[in-house]
Order: sequence, then structure tokens, then C-alpha cells
Amino acid sequence: MIDRSRSARLATWLYSRALVVLPAELRAQFQREMLSDFQDLVTQAQQRAGVVGVFLVLLRSCLDLLSRTLLERRHRDAVDCVSDRGRMPVGERMFLFGQEFKLALRGIIKRPGFTAVTVLTLALGIGANVAIFAVVNAVLIRPLPYPQSDRIVSITHHMPGVNLPDMENSIGTLLLYQRHARSFSDVGAFTSGQRNLTGITEPARIEVLEATPSLFRVLSVQPILGRSLSDADAQPGAPNVVVLTYRGWQAHFAGARNVIGRKIELDGTAHEVIGVLPRSFSQPEPETEAVLPHYLDPNGDLNSFGRWGLARLAPGVSMELAQAEATRLQGRLTELWTAVTPEFLKKAGWSVTVQDMRNRIIGDAATTLWIVFGTVGFLLLVACASVANLFLVRAETRHREVNVRFALGATRPRVAVTFLAESITLGLAGGLWGMLLSFVGIRTLVAAGPTQLPRLQEVNVDGTVIAFAIGISLVAGILFGLLPLAQHMRGSVHALVRAGRAYSTTRERQRVRRVLIVAQIALAVVLVTGSGLMVRSFQRLRAVQPGIRPQGVLIMGVSLGQGRDRPQAAAVYHRIIEEIRRLPGVRDVGATNALPLEPRGINGGSYEVQSSPRASDALPPIAYYAAVSDGYLPAIGTVLLQGRAIDQTDHEQKRNVIVVDRSFAAQFPAGRALGQRISFDDKETWFEIVGVVDDVRMFTLRESPGPVVYLPMTASQVAVDLMNIVIRTDGDPLALVPAVRTAIKRVEPNLPVTTARTMEDVFRGSLAEASFTMTVLLIAALVALLLGAIGLYGVINYLVAQRTPEIGVRIALGAVPRQVRTLVLRQGLTMGVMGVALGLGGALLLTRLLRTLLFEVDSRDPLTFSVVPLVMLAVSALAAYLPAQRAARVSPLQALKSE
Amino acid sequence: MVRRIEVEAFLPLKPVAFHILLALADGPRHGYAIRASVEELTQGGIRLWPATLYGSVRQLSEAGLIAPQEGDESPDDDARRRYYALTGLGRRVLVAETERLQALLRYASNTQVIASSKA
Repeated sequence: MIDRSRSARLATWLYSRALVVLPAELRAQFQREMLSDFQDLVTQAQQRAGVVGVFLVLLRSCLDLLSRTLLERRHRDAVDCVSDRGRMPVGERMFLFGQEFKLALRGIIKRPGFTAVTVLTLALGIGANVAIFAVVNAVLIRPLPYPQSDRIVSITHHMPGVNLPDMENSIGTLLLYQRHARSFSDVGAFTSGQRNLTGITEPARIEVLEATPSLFRVLSVQPILGRSLSDADAQPGAPNVVVLTYRGWQAHFAGARNVIGRKIELDGTAHEVIGVLPRSFSQPEPETEAVLPHYLDPNGDLNSFGRWGLARLAPGVSMELAQAEATRLQGRLTELWTAVTPEFLKKAGWSVTVQDMRNRIIGDAATTLWIVFGTVGFLLLVACASVANLFLVRAETRHREVNVRFALGATRPRVAVTFLAESITLGLAGGLWGMLLSFVGIRTLVAAGPTQLPRLQEVNVDGTVIAFAIGISLVAGILFGLLPLAQHMRGSVHALVRAGRAYSTTRERQRVRRVLIVAQIALAVVLVTGSGLMVRSFQRLRAVQPGIRPQGVLIMGVSLGQGRDRPQAAAVYHRIIEEIRRLPGVRDVGATNALPLEPRGINGGSYEVQSSPRASDALPPIAYYAAVSDGYLPAIGTVLLQGRAIDQTDHEQKRNVIVVDRSFAAQFPAGRALGQRISFDDKETWFEIVGVVDDVRMFTLRESPGPVVYLPMTASQVAVDLMNIVIRTDGDPLALVPAVRTAIKRVEPNLPVTTARTMEDVFRGSLAEASFTMTVLLIAALVALLLGAIGLYGVINYLVAQRTPEIGVRIALGAVPRQVRTLVLRQGLTMGVMGVALGLGGALLLTRLLRTLLFEVDSRDPLTFSVVPLVMLAVSALAAYLPAQRAARVSPLQALKSE
Repeated sequence: MVRRIEVEAFLPLKPVAFHILLALADGPRHGYAIRASVEELTQGGIRLWPATLYGSVRQLSEAGLIAPQEGDESPDDDARRRYYALTGLGRRVLVAETERLQALLRYASNTQVIASSKA
């Protein structure tokens, strides 16, 4: 009983999912009854006809759901729904159409095998498309959750001349636009950071935004409780206030409405909660839990960049106008930013970009998504081609039926409607199953998709996605229905009058089938080539030497917040490191504010080299800085090339020493880097290079970031409020976590410690996007390959059956089995070769689109382009081999019988 | 007179609506029983799938032709099933539709369609 009821349970579950298409009121009222009725129907069907019965009941019920939904959506009025009144003229036509659908449905149900294969193939194609479209829809198409979000722009600056291709905003640039730009109704800015939240039950490290109050006007966000930040809140000396985001409110205050007016501590300073923001306040920083006022101090440091600048376009102003005005205003920038001269800006290639905020957030993800979407689109084409092929096989058998209908006086449109009704119904059935598949797919995507993909959490099934699903199901139905239709339309009374077999039309149909097979193979070649390139690129990416040894390394973030001065902070970190060093199993331990492969924490700036003073008009060189403790470099596994690492006495005696990476050392003649003196604060303090280490991929695996300098954490150039403790061990890193936590507690009981990760997690995370794209392409390619091979097998098999008499005659006349086999194989391989040739041409054109995603692999990679055709030919040979074997075994007697 | 117009606003009834009203003519039933009764009456010719059945039930009760019964379930039946009964209007519409069909049948038999096809 349990075994038998499994298919029934699955069907009931699927049906319960499918109920979402119904109008909400109907569902709310009758969901339970419909489900229990459905269960009864399924049970009955199962007793009568087993799994097939269950399937048919599910199919029929889902079609019923769909037609009812359409009806309910069309007629809001109840009377219209129960009565046929006043609809007769249209009704009559609909009656005919309905008849055809009924006929089609009967035909579909009568051939469960054919129907199942068709629907399954389509469901795969459509399901993949719907799932990816849901992502495309949420990420690329749906507007940001702010009123008139297309009027919100992001302002960025560029200074390629000094290796800073993308800079955000400084107070100087923001004041420039706030004061002078007429294209913007408001200009807002924010930086993101973290704070220690205390004064509540469970202390936590939270993500905060420091935002100008104008940001809320730019985004048009109204608080759901209390008030949002006012300009007065951001003035110096104003009382400390904080606005919670929905996320923060839920996470730390359980959504309590009395939170307004409460005092909380952020990094040890009391702040009053004045408001709660709506859930929609989720971009561009979805993790944010609290927002603090940010003051653009005109007397402050105008040089430091790193603030996002967002603005709302003034009414009637276009993006182009705003861009033009912003560009024009750069001429006045040096009034506010006195550290630079107009000549310097010009030489450094200074420029500004005003762009749609959404595009800014999506960034590179758009390319990946469109490519993935294109890939599954290809897959759908393959699925349609293979279903069209199945239809053509059926067309052979139905030819007589069609001709009889013509002979009885059926009009061409009427016959066309029958066939289209059938293919559209199948298309919709495939679409329905595809939708169900896509629910699973979407859930998997959201759970397993790369976290770098912006807005991934917003992915869901909405009206647009459902409309898309129905749309492509219809298009697919029409697409594969038209081909056999074209064949039937040539039928005529004459064809019937002629003998049972009309050779010319059969041959014609065979040609169409072969063209379809060639097209399928070609499409499969394109997909397999694309995924082959991605696999190669992924291999390359995995093989990158990140400059560290990620195995056996545990990472835990510890934050002291901003309340302490530097020597104090450094001392605390030292004590923590000493405590951990004593734990058994720990080989090396150290701390850094910037982890490899993670762009967080690291910052950069210009520097001077004492031995080669820079000409006053030359551009300053730029390097990235990381703060490290002693022990960090061996703990993370960086290779020391020259000199020594930073050690404890350097910290204790506050020596101004640094370690640089290979790229940095390259500016000096070979071996001369040690002993060079570098300044990061306009020649006030000089740091001596004591060691050179190998380059480390600080941001991504794809590119080395440029020169990196490691400073002792006592140096004032680096921030140390959040440090990552890096522990190298011989055993399982995660097994150390409890001991490490206790060790940290022994030093200071109330320090927030972040979740423990291994460096291998970080490494995998940086591969996530590439592996996502590769996986999707690989799956699509395999399915396409499979469908192509099955299609080829089917056609050759059919041809062999057709030629049995001929083959029998050949054998009777003395042909040996090998010759017959070769004959058939050659036929299969001819199609294979044609498909591969066409596919390679297509691949050469299309893989160019992949270029931005590929890493160290040419989009015309010779290896891929030579292996893929071989694989495809081998698969074609295999698909043709089985029928060829059968042909070789034909006996003349058997052939005579079949005639 | 007003009533007559009210009734005629529903004619001709959709087949599904007609069958549901017919199934309720004997007394209140719940959804599942309606389906069973329709299937029995038409000898399996009309099968009401869940969405059509409950969609129509909802529309019929919105149009005031049927109404859910309150607290009238027989105790041994599943308590979550709601019973529906014809309203006065519903019964009149059913009668009017049957009369309309009867008239149609009369016209048709006068022209001896059935007789000739039998021959």
C-alpha cells in the first residue's frame, strides 16, 4: 500500500503546488476540498490503471485548473460565468475550436507513451527556461523596490591614470553636486561598515550604513515606525540616533513595536532608536541592520573616497543631461578638493559617470545571466526540434487519416486547427510540468546560487514569470506543431487515391526529419562547446596559485570596535594570538584586516619612495595596504621570497618596517627592494622594506590586484577595528573552533566573534560564480547531447525499418553483414558530420559572447574545438551503430515477409 | 414580472452549471457528492474536475443560485465538507432552463430529427 501510494502522494503534492495559479479567493475558499477530491480521483484512477492512471488524472486536472483560471480571469461577473447568454456568435466559433481541442485531447490521452515523452522533453526545456527567467526577471528586469526607481542614479568617478579605474565619492565630490548640480533633486551618500551592538540581550556584530539624511529622500523611503533621519540628526553635536532596517529590527528586537525610543549601544556609545525602515529598503546593501547619520563635513578630509553617491534626477531631466552637467561641473572640483590641481586631474584621466542605480548594482552579473538565459533558450530549441521529430514520425502514421478527412470535405484550416490544437495542448502540458520543475529549480538556485549575484534573494515566481511560462509553452507548441503541419497540408485526395504508400511524400518527410536531426546535433555542438570552454576556464581558475596555502586554515573575525586607541587594540589582538598559539594542534597563528580573495577591509593609497623622489607633476604610484600581526604570513601560507617577515619585536618596539609583495618589489632593480624606504603620509614617516613575499590574489582569483604592502598592525595607516584571526593547523580546522572561542573569551569575555570559516570556504566562494555558470551550461549541454543522440537513433532506426526489403535483397544478392552495417553507419555519420560542421560554425560565432566569462582560455580554444567534434562524432556513431547492427542481421526471408 | 426577467438573465445556462443545479434538485449535497451524482446521471458522460466543479460552485453561489448550508451536515460525513442547496432563485432558473430545453426538444421532434436518424 505504501509503495503504491507514493505516485499518488507525489501527484497530490504537485497538484497542490499547481493550485497557486487559481485566483486567490477561489483557492482560499476551496483549496482543501479540491485537494481531497483530487486525492479521491487519484486513488480511484490508481486502482483502475496504476501509475498511468495517476498521471492522466494529474494531467487532466491541471488542464482543468488552467482552463478554469483563464475563464475566471476573463469573466469577473458571476452571471457571465454560469450562463452562456449573449455569447452565441463567438460561442459557435469557440464550439468548433473546443471540439478540435477535445479531439486533440482524446488523441493525446490515447497515446500515453508518446504523450509522456513529448511532455517530459518539453517540460525539461521549458522548466529550465522558466527557472532562469525567474532569476533574470528578479535581477535584471524588475525595478528596484523604490518609487520611480528609474530616476535614481549612481555617481562614480574614475582615475585610470593612477590605476584607480573605479572610485566612489569623496566629501568634495558630493558637496560639489549638492551645491551646484541642478540635474539632481537630491544627492545622498553612504558608506557601509560594522558596529558592535550591545545593550540588548545578545551582543552582536551588525552591518550598518552611515548615510546622509538626504539618501532617504533620494530613495523615497518612508519609515514604517517612528521617523527617519533628519538633516539636524547629522549635524555635529546632535544627539546620537539610529534607524533600524526591517532586517535588524526582526533579528535583534524580534519586531517589537516599542523599540522606538530605546537606547542601544553601538561600539560602546549610546544611540536612541528613532525609526524602523520598511523591508523594501534592501538595496544596495541587503545585509544592513541599522542606519546611522553621516555628516559631510565641509571642513573635514575632502580627499578620502569610498562613499557611494546616489541622486534622484530632477523632474524632466534625462540621464544624458545629468551626465553632461556632472562632467561640466568637474571644472570646479578643485575649488573643493584643494589637494589636487586641474592638471593632475587631467593627467590622471579623471572622469565621472552618472548611471542607473540598478545597472550599477547588477554590474557584471548581467552578462553571466544573459549567457545562461541564452543557453537554456538553446536547450528549448533542441527540445522543440526533438518533439517536432516525434511529431513527424506520427505524421507518417496519420497521413491516411488526414487524407480521409480531406476527402470527406474538411477544410485546410479545420485540419490545421486539429493539429495545432494537439501541439499547443502538449506544449501547455509541457509548460505546466515545466513550471512545477522550475519551482524546484528556483528553490535550488536561490539556495545554491552564487552569493555574489545581486538581488538573488528577491527571486520568486510572479505574474511576469507565469506569463513567460505560458508564453513560451504556446510558442513551443506552435513551433513544433507547424513543421508536421506543413507536411500534412501537402496531402490531398490524390495521395489517398494512389496506393497505400506515397513514396515521394515519405521521402520528403524523411528529408525534413534529417534536417531536424542535423539542426539538433548542431545546437548540441554549440552547447557542448560552450560548456567545454567553461569547464576549461574553471580548471584554469582552480589551478591559479593564489599565493597562499588554503588547506588547514581556520578563520575567525574578532572585532574590537572603534572605541579603543591603536596600541590598546594591538595589545588585545596580541594577547588573543598568544592564547591561541598555546592551543594543541595550532601550527601558526596571526591576524590581518584583509583576507586574500575577499575585497573587504583592504584599502589603498599613494606612496613615495625615498630613493627616487617623484617629479612634482608626476602621478603618484598607488598600492594596497593590509595590516598584519606577526605570524600572519606563515599562518596563511605566503611564500617569503627575500628578507624576513614582520615579527613580534617589530610590534613591541613599533618599528616602521613593512613587507611588500613581488609586484611592489618589481619597481626596484632585482634584489634591491630590501632596505628601501617608503612613505604613505607625504614623507612624514618612512617605512623600511624588510621582506618580499609572493603575490597574493587579494580580491578575486582572476586578477592580482596590483602592488600590496603589509604593514604592522601598530601602523596608523591601517584600520584594525575588525581583524581576522588566521590559524593554521595540521588537523581539521573546524575542530579547533570551540577551543579558539574559549581562548578569545579568556582574553576578553564580551568580544563579538564572527562565524568560523576555513580558508578553503573562502576559496570555494570565489569560485562560486564560475562554477554556477559552468554547471548550468554543462547540464544544458548534456541534455542537448542526449536528445540529439536519441533523435539520431530514432531516425536511423526508422530508416532501417523502411529499408528492410532493400537490405534483404542486398543480402540475398551476396552483401556481407559488414557492408550493410557500413551502409547504415555511413548514413548516421553523414548527419553527424553535417551537424558537427554547422555546429562548429555556430560555436565559433557564439562562444565569442562567452569571452568576458572565460579565464585564461581563448573563446576559440583549440583543444575544446577539437575534442568536442570528436565526442559528437563518437556519439553519432554510437547512435547509428545499434540500428546498423540490426540491419546487418536482416535475413532475406524476413525481408520478404515484411514486404 | 421582475422575477421573470431575473430568471431569464441566466438563460441559457452553461452545461456545467445546469448539471450542478440538477444534482442539487433532490436536496443539499457537498462537492464530492455533486460530482458523483452528475457522473451517475450522465453515465460518465460529464466529469467535473476539481477546479471546474468548485469554480462553478463558487460562481453559482455568488450569483445566488445556490447557497452553502449552515450546520446541517450529517454527522458521519467529513466535517470539512460544505453542503450546498438550491436557493429559490436557483430552483426557478433550473425549472426555466429545463422548460427551455424541453421546448427545444419539442421543436426538434416536430421536425422529426430523431425519428429520421433512427430510421
